[in-house]
Amino acid sequence: MGLLTDPRAGNGAVIKFVMKWEKLLCLTLYVTGVIWFVSLAYPDFNDNTYFSENALLPGLVTNEFNEDGGAKRFHDELLAEMKKYPDDMPYPWLLAKFRQLNLDVYTHNFTLNYPLSQQKFTGQNVYSILRAPRSASTEAIILSVPYRSASSIHLTTAPSIALLLAFAKFCRKQNYWAKDIIFVVTEHEQLGMQAWLEAYHRCTCGQDGVLIAGDLVGRAGSIQAAINLEMHSFKIGSIDIKVEGLNGQLPNLDLVNLANKMCAKEGIRRTFQRRADSNPKDKIRKWWYQFVTMMSMVSTQATGVPTGNHGVFHRFGIEAITLEGFAKSGSGTESTIYNIGRVVESLIRSLNNLLERFHQSFFFYLLPSTDRYISIGLYMPPLALIIAGLFIKAFSVWLKLQESTEKKDGESDAVKQAKSEELVLSHIAWEVLWTHILGVATLSAPRLFTYIGIKFHLATENSVSLGLLLLTIVMFIGTLCFERYRTYETASLLYVIALIELATMLLCISMHNFSLALVAAVVYVPAALTVIPKKGNESRFHNLRCIPWILLHPLCLACTVVAVYTHFTFPDYTIIAFALKWIQASKQAIVFGIIDSMVYGNWLYSVTVCVLLPTWLIFWIVVTSKPILRISK
Amino acid sequence: MSTTQKFVFFALAATIRLLLIYSEYQKIIADRVEVSTALNSWKKVTEGVYLREAGIDPYTGDLFHESPIGLVVFSYMQKYLSLCMLCGIFVFTDLATAWILGATAYRYTSELIATEQKDIQKRKKESNDEELSTLPSSMSIPASSVTSSALLVPSAYLFNPYVVFNCVGLTTTVFTNFLLSAALYSMINKSRLCSCFTIAVLTLQGLYPITLMVPATIYLARNEEGKNKNFPYGNINKTIAMFIGILIALYYLSYKVSGSWSFLHSTIGFILTVPDLRPNIGLYWYFFTEMFEHFRWLFVASFQINVGLLYVAPLALRFRRDPMLLAFSYLAIAAIFKSYPCLGEVGFYMALLPMWKHLFPHMQQGFIVSCFLLSCTVFAPTVWHLWIYSRSANANFYFGVTLAFAIAQIFLVTDVLFASVKREFSLRHGLSREIHGNTGKLLLE
Repeated sequence: MGLLTDPRAGNGAVIKFVMKWEKLLCLTLYVTGVIWFVSLAYPDFNDNTYFSENALLPGLVTNEFNEDGGAKRFHDELLAEMKKYPDDMPYPWLLAKFRQLNLDVYTHNFTLNYPLSQQKFTGQNVYSILRAPRSASTEAIILSVPYRSASSIHLTTAPSIALLLAFAKFCRKQNYWAKDIIFVVTEHEQLGMQAWLEAYHRCTCGQDGVLIAGDLVGRAGSIQAAINLEMHSFKIGSIDIKVEGLNGQLPNLDLVNLANKMCAKEGIRRTFQRRADSNPKDKIRKWWYQFVTMMSMVSTQATGVPTGNHGVFHRFGIEAITLEGFAKSGSGTESTIYNIGRVVESLIRSLNNLLERFHQSFFFYLLPSTDRYISIGLYMPPLALIIAGLFIKAFSVWLKLQESTEKKDGESDAVKQAKSEELVLSHIAWEVLWTHILGVATLSAPRLFTYIGIKFHLATENSVSLGLLLLTIVMFIGTLCFERYRTYETASLLYVIALIELATMLLCISMHNFSLALVAAVVYVPAALTVIPKKGNESRFHNLRCIPWILLHPLCLACTVVAVYTHFTFPDYTIIAFALKWIQASKQAIVFGIIDSMVYGNWLYSVTVCVLLPTWLIFWIVVTSKPILRISK
Repeated sequence: MSTTQKFVFFALAATIRLLLIYSEYQKIIADRVEVSTALNSWKKVTEGVYLREAGIDPYTGDLFHESPIGLVVFSYMQKYLSLCMLCGIFVFTDLATAWILGATAYRYTSELIATEQKDIQKRKKESNDEELSTLPSSMSIPASSVTSSALLVPSAYLFNPYVVFNCVGLTTTVFTNFLLSAALYSMINKSRLCSCFTIAVLTLQGLYPITLMVPATIYLARNEEGKNKNFPYGNINKTIAMFIGILIALYYLSYKVSGSWSFLHSTIGFILTVPDLRPNIGLYWYFFTEMFEHFRWLFVASFQINVGLLYVAPLALRFRRDPMLLAFSYLAIAAIFKSYPCLGEVGFYMALLPMWKHLFPHMQQGFIVSCFLLSCTVFAPTVWHLWIYSRSANANFYFGVTLAFAIAQIFLVTDVLFASVKREFSLRHGLSREIHGNTGKLLLE
């Protein structure tokens, strides 16, 4: 129990060590953490993937898919239909095709009330259920394709719809299905899928009244897994397996492995993050290649935006991945629809074998290549090291504070001390309270901003970003208002609170979305460690510490990220064109974040505004406060 | 403390509670397993009241676990009070609890200072020890702490997030906490009837508070200790007899109200045998879902002995001079180890802590414990979400958090108790602890 010492009996070794080497310790922890994480991509520090779930029996069946001719015919017909209706989904044609296969086919209507203006959007999904001949409809597997009309800006998915129909035709003839197979063709990308899933589970994930999902006529059992197809061409050069879902959630690693193994079996080139595996002899070069792949996954996962329709399944506890097929570019073999059909067949038949839900393998992992993985046990320690610096800093500041109050014990009389203690406590409580209330207020502010903006005939983006900017200015004024009460002690105590809040928040986020926590920790931890409160005897350069902290204001940070992104997307723009593009893109990015949180329940905006912003403000108060030695009266 | 300050605090606390009750978060908070357990959720009470109205014995099923007397009270509440009034009653009860706690703290601290001063004077007279005369002023409790603890204890209760969640979740623990505070207040006011009655009602409802009879008896016995030096057998017997009498009367009343003894199985039996393994912040659910049925009774017995019996005698012997600290330690131990713990109880005993503000400098793990408590509080819902909704984590994650939460609380309680021992030691033997020229330190081993 004597973990720490009785301060009255002199300090123990641990405390002395922490207080003496605190700065070096924090630095070492941070650097070690970062280096450790970077080196995880080195082949010796990660593992080969393997199958954990035996029931999958991957690749043990003889593939029988032979509907490639059918797929070709469907494709030709579909292209003709798409030419006739360049903006709409050819519902009658799809319904007719499913009916011809003697499948239950239904349509599903949904409405989106665009939350920041009075607009309404509607959409329609088509889905069809193949009832399992071998069991009651208790479990189901989904095969889905997002429909993209001819006028869509995205790459076409017509070949995958043809494949879906051909595969449905093939499945119809088999008698070994133990789970229902649901074929879903959705409209409006993820919105359609989200609406369909909400209707299937009769729930609402975003805000009430935004996405009206309605109800479904036909249902199957609980959905075990989903495969989403995005084939851009009838003959493909490589298949990219996409895993990142909403809020950075990932599918079970077994499913990813299964897809990889099946593609390998058919001899299709596999990529991850659009990077094929490369196997140079030189380990350092291999590390660099894998590191770039891993960081590419980290950056996609950190945004919390799904990379495909599979992303919205995860929150319902459904394992899902997207197979995206690209046309051949450059050298390499080409695979026909026959091979892809066989891949889909193997996948669905493996899933059909499942006896229970995916639970064996990993749900938390990073992939440096298609066949290697870094599990949670490997990537958590580096992050924990980075975050540990915050706790150590908080602890040492706390100890120093204890020491200084102890010294003062003799000097001042007890009554005055108790009074000042009360004042300090209530003052700190007030600071913490108002910053957090402001955070929560910002969360619900966008609707108000657009409501006011409409009166001034402003576009949604303009009114939201202007509103947020105004709010930020109000915050700055707010921090200036209460400045005169601050002493070194209150500032230090606030600093301790802010450090602990930041550390706890980062740890919490790391459970949900490791990448986001990692990126935030790498950026915020060194800055948070340096914005120490003023004692009164610092040099003038102490004020320089404010500057990096201003840059880390969530709004500023978002704009910086957008700037970097814009620079890489449009490298040949002039400065003025770039600036205009950048401002436009930043505004849009903020609105997208807000809309995402309202429609899908993406919590990037909520967390940023409710936790990160208040913490940022407290740190700001700490770093800008001018010290007063004692509170008078 | 000024009355306006106190008024502002109470008004602010009431506003926070009412705002949260009428917000969309009320349902989310009320459905949290950390807040509502099988014993205290308002949903179950509503079910029980409905069954009773429908003429069905609510104790036949596995739904309702309140005492029959509680059932009658709640059914009247649900019958005659609108929803608004009901929420108002919850908030008002919580505020009243805070007020009573403030009064208790005021009384306790002033008594503590008086006895300590007397003690030091007495000892100074007896021995002309140098060290005692050099005792620094920081060791003694300043007179101002009477008012400060009378303000800090209620504010620690009013603004404790655990207590706020408990009140917003409309759990019956709000009323349990009220009774607990009443029991503490009547204890320190040496009112035999009141303390026996409140503790008996608490025992009827939750069983574990029966341990509070120990500090209550000590308080009541101390009343006449000054008069005769003999061990006050008569006094103690009178207290115990009164308690047992009231308890039996209450049980008989319950029998009369419910019409059969079946309620015993659903209240005491439910608490002791732990049939409901829905996850909560306690340690039972995980152990008993994992355990082989064969060993169940052995472990049920050892778990219950741990919470109910094991610590009663040793702590009572050690802290007999400070029965309020004893009551605190019993409450804390029950809140950690009982079969269906909830956050409201944790919040209640934590709100008592400012009473022992003078022990804080002697505590060692305050910082670590508070960090742990904070992260566990935030982690629990996170991991729960991952386990139940995303299905990417599992029960082990949540159990890990509850285990860490329990360990942090254990550290807190041992730290407070050991700080009290250390302070007592320092008062008696002075502050410097030189052993053969080296600075020594006190360790709990």
